[in-house]
Amino acid sequence: MFSEEELKQVEELKSHYPTNLSAVMGVLHMYQDKYGHISDEGITYVANLLEVPEENVLGVVTFYEMYHQHKTGKYKLQVCTNVSCMLRGSDMVLQTIKDKIGIGIGEMTDDGLFSVHEAECLGSCGTAPMMSVNKDYHENLTPETINELIDALKAKG
Amino acid sequence: MKQHTTRMTLTIDNKTVTADTGASILDVARQNGIDIPTLCWHEQLSPHGGCRMCIVEVEGLSHFPTACTTPAADGMIVRTHTAQIREMRAEILQLFLSEHTASCLVCDEQEECREYMSTVRKAGVTTGCRYCPKDGQCELQAVTESLGVRDIIYPIYYRGIPVETEDPFYDRDYNLCILCGRCVRMCQEVRLADVLAYKHRGRDAIIGPAFARTHLEAGCEFCGACVSVCPTGTLREKARAWEGAPDREEITTCTFCGVGCQVRLLVKEDRIIGSLPADDPTVNQGQLCVKGRFCNTELVNGHQRIRHPYRRENDIAWDVSWDAAFELIAEKLRSSAPERTGMLVSSNLTNEDLYVAQKFMRVVMKTHHIDSTARLFYGSGFSAYLTLMDRAVPLSAIRDASAVLMVGLDTRFSRSVVGVAIRTAMKRGIRMFTLHSREHTFSLNADVWLQPEVGEEYRYVEALVRLAAGEDVTDRSIPADMRVRLADVARALSESDSPVILVGAEFLQYDSSRAFLAAVAQLADHVGAGVLTLPAQNNLYGSLLSGSFPELLPGMRPTADAARLQKLESLWGTSLTGLTDAWNADHLLRDDCAMQFLYAVGALPPVHRGAAKFTVFQNMYPPEPYCSADLVLPTAAATETDGSFLNGERRVQRVRRAVAPPGIALPDWDILCRLARHMGAEGFAFTRPEEIREEMAQVIPGFGEAEIDARGILPLAFDAVMHVSGNGTAQRPPDSDHPFILHSSVVEHTHRGFPLAAWVEGSRILFPEGVLDISAEDARALGLRDGDSVHVSGASFEEIYPVRIVRQQPRGALHASILESALTHPNPQPVSVRKADV
Ligand code: SF4
Ligand code: SF4
Ligand code: SF4
Ligand code: FES
Ligand code: FES
Repeated sequence: MFSEEELKQVEELKSHYPTNLSAVMGVLHMYQDKYGHISDEGITYVANLLEVPEENVLGVVTFYEMYHQHKTGKYKLQVCTNVSCMLRGSDMVLQTIKDKIGIGIGEMTDDGLFSVHEAECLGSCGTAPMMSVNKDYHENLTPETINELIDALKAKG
Repeated sequence: MKQHTTRMTLTIDNKTVTADTGASILDVARQNGIDIPTLCWHEQLSPHGGCRMCIVEVEGLSHFPTACTTPAADGMIVRTHTAQIREMRAEILQLFLSEHTASCLVCDEQEECREYMSTVRKAGVTTGCRYCPKDGQCELQAVTESLGVRDIIYPIYYRGIPVETEDPFYDRDYNLCILCGRCVRMCQEVRLADVLAYKHRGRDAIIGPAFARTHLEAGCEFCGACVSVCPTGTLREKARAWEGAPDREEITTCTFCGVGCQVRLLVKEDRIIGSLPADDPTVNQGQLCVKGRFCNTELVNGHQRIRHPYRRENDIAWDVSWDAAFELIAEKLRSSAPERTGMLVSSNLTNEDLYVAQKFMRVVMKTHHIDSTARLFYGSGFSAYLTLMDRAVPLSAIRDASAVLMVGLDTRFSRSVVGVAIRTAMKRGIRMFTLHSREHTFSLNADVWLQPEVGEEYRYVEALVRLAAGEDVTDRSIPADMRVRLADVARALSESDSPVILVGAEFLQYDSSRAFLAAVAQLADHVGAGVLTLPAQNNLYGSLLSGSFPELLPGMRPTADAARLQKLESLWGTSLTGLTDAWNADHLLRDDCAMQFLYAVGALPPVHRGAAKFTVFQNMYPPEPYCSADLVLPTAAATETDGSFLNGERRVQRVRRAVAPPGIALPDWDILCRLARHMGAEGFAFTRPEEIREEMAQVIPGFGEAEIDARGILPLAFDAVMHVSGNGTAQRPPDSDHPFILHSSVVEHTHRGFPLAAWVEGSRILFPEGVLDISAEDARALGLRDGDSVHVSGASFEEIYPVRIVRQQPRGALHASILESALTHPNPQPVSVRKADV
């Protein structure tokens, strides 16, 4: 599943830590970057690769919101719903998205372009409400900026 | 004198206390009799800091640290029970309770409920509406009571998780789980089995194996260690749920294998309600396997236990008194010739039982015709096995080993305490190798897995011997990659200072077993390894020691040993010259066996009707339908008698009577002594096992009470030659008529000849007897589903088995777990398989 090149990267990651267990998160990120989400096979693959119990890898995947177990859209709209964002309008953000493209948390558009996810605090509370689209942060969101953003992404395709 | 610098002084609740550095606040508090409530902390596990019950106030700190994870420090000022802390604990506890469905904990009627339970009213009132099987033993309940929480201000959140009941031996109701993580830490840190983990989080968090696997599928060993540490009713033993707290405990030795774990029997109202590991530093280190943990209770409590002696004739059975039974035996014995009289004993009996049994045969019946059914288990490799067993090193050798080779050993369901010791040693960095033809517990995490074809195991060991002797292995029938692995293992073993070879029971019934065991002995010599044989019978050593074989006298001396005979003659006051020793258990399976009298203390294999004219069957459960017993005598279980066992290391350990036997059953030694006295024999006046041991000590050095209490290793040497039967027929390759290769192993999970699967429900799933394992591919090709019946026929037999589809089973190979008596040769043998007509 990983190429020679990627396997080398895994070795490199492993070398940073005293135990392989510590490398699980990094390797899971690599896997998710490659496949968009982490399937059950992916969990088994990573566990075998790092020689750690599947139970522990599954525990990590299901604990963190940033790992996705189901297929995701090309653009992952990860809306922070933690305290600061919640107080500053994450409900509005989700509603605006729903009105615009018709999907809510855990859903994906039929064309596979967008999916919406709930995120825990992304460390950008000062600019709440916010969301991250794949790895880019979009902050101080208003209905207008959200609509513009989605239009721009649609245009990009 | 130099000041002791490793002590520190601190103040807890205004009390000045001292402690060793490194101790946590909780440790120090408890050492000084100050109680701090805890839920996630457990003495066997690393501190977790998850439940927050143990928060304390430390002067100078702005937050409230958890006492279990915070190291105490010199000069610290700690307060454990301020009003503020008590209030915070109660608040946290309410959060727990809001997700915990046992409303009993805060029910208004709590006190009245208990008080009025005995009045005759509606069921819910008379029995109390108890929702949790741990009621009365739950730690959450205890903490709720001690904190005085009687009301929950939060809304109750019921998760509605279905109770998991599909696995054997214990159920799981995660609605009651408080996520303390004790089970996870137990499985990961102590058992090193990695079956459990936390999944999801927040209010969705749940404990379990990965994906939707059952515990059985996830590789669980059913050791029950997680169940023992669960503070709530989440993990509950099926057989012990609702039993409540035991009245007392009794420490004894497990009877299910030669490891000889120390067990704590839980007794309530003169009944065994559970068995837990004893805190034993020598053998099992506070661990047990599924058999010691779960099988005991069901086995000894079965309602079909025999309670009364009974006579059988022409399919009619009627109860008789002990006296009538003894009179009948005496009459039959008087008319039987010594050479046509025999006794079959089980190697599960105590040393005292076995000693009395052989004395009975030698003194009263004037014959050496006493034999253990263990002979049938080991077949043609019997003598080789005993010779190997004689080299046994203590179990602690695993802890000190630098490399371990396991041959034919799967520690998942048997001897799993040894598996834990090996995994602990592996964590320390020792090298671990396993030789096994099938996938098993260690195949994936061993450094090297030597995987021979079925029946070729001995050639791998022989190859190791040659490699260790510096020769090359050119045997082309061993695949090239395996030859590389063999060389690696041989090198590692040779270079290791203290290697240990562990021998399992897996290949012992193959025709190659003699060659296999001989090769293991040679390998041990070459690399200077200690050997641990871990016999399947808990008291195989004891049966050798007590002389319950035609070839052996008490003290493990050959029957021909004139000095020993003389000593016994003077001890027993009788002549022992000219006694016959021509018979052994193997003869029973022969067509020409025609005994006049057969006494089976334990199992009796299916023998033809004429094999014995009169048969006495003495056991815990009624004989199998095929067994032609004429008189059945009820015997005490190991939990109902005092005595001793000798484990596979030759360690002598005590067996203690915890409860009374059912009905008028008696211990085996007592039955035999009473019978001997009834027949007017001298030397059977024993009324207590101690008296038997006193006599044994006169011929067996080191067999005194003091040694048993010290659980010492007896200095014994085995140098007799045992007769073996078995044809050792060469294995034929599969052909077009017989495309499958069938290998049979005798099920080692037996007790007194009964497969545990016969009397213990959960064992039917874990180690069934009489089933045929087949790979998923082969099953598909034959159109078979789990549980279908198949017709298996080979050159020497024809049999119908239910099939079990097993992922680990290699293609083209079939495996049957059977009873000794069902074993046919050659083994393995080529067979054909077809679906049986329904
Ligand atoms: S029974 Fe033993 S192996 Fe199974 S989950 Fe519990 S601790 Fe782990
Ligand atoms: S199952 Fe029991 S031991 Fe495990 S986390 Fe839940 S309450 Fe704790
Ligand atoms: S390993 Fe053997 S002695 Fe120990 S609990 Fe299991 S069966 Fe009993
Ligand atoms: S709460 Fe949304 S970024 Fe911190
Ligand atoms: S016992 Fe200390 S946090 Fe649970």
